[in-house]
Amino acid sequence: MNRDQVAALKELMAQEFTALEFHLYLDTHPTDQRALMEYNEACRQLMVLKQRYQQCFGPLTFCETSGYPWQWIEEPWPWQISY
Amino acid sequence: MMYEMNSGLQLARAYVPSQVFTQRFSAMEGLSKGTIFPELYMPYRPRRY
Repeated sequence: MNRDQVAALKELMAQEFTALEFHLYLDTHPTDQRALMEYNEACRQLMVLKQRYQQCFGPLTFCETSGYPWQWIEEPWPWQISY
Repeated sequence: MMYEMNSGLQLARAYVPSQVFTQRFSAMEGLSKGTIFPELYMPYRPRRY
């Protein structure tokens, strides 16, 4: 997997992790407005990154659209990538 | 009573103070440190006693 793709994947992982962290914090602090703003911003950025990544490299998760031919089975599989 | 049999040790009392979000790590730093909240970053450092 080329460097740019791995870098894009890491950026995606970091953004998703951020959204998850704020998501968990908000479960116990639903009125924390700043945390909610951070969460929403992280989700927005995540959606942009995902959309851009998938346009180039195909579906990331189940139920994402694919280019032709079917991209889901393309190498490398996640466990074959050295990050 | 039950716990007196443990050589007189008292039972522990657990408490979790409420976390207050103030600062955050950048996304990449948070991913590598395992939390986005600096106040929760507590790596176990080997210490010689």
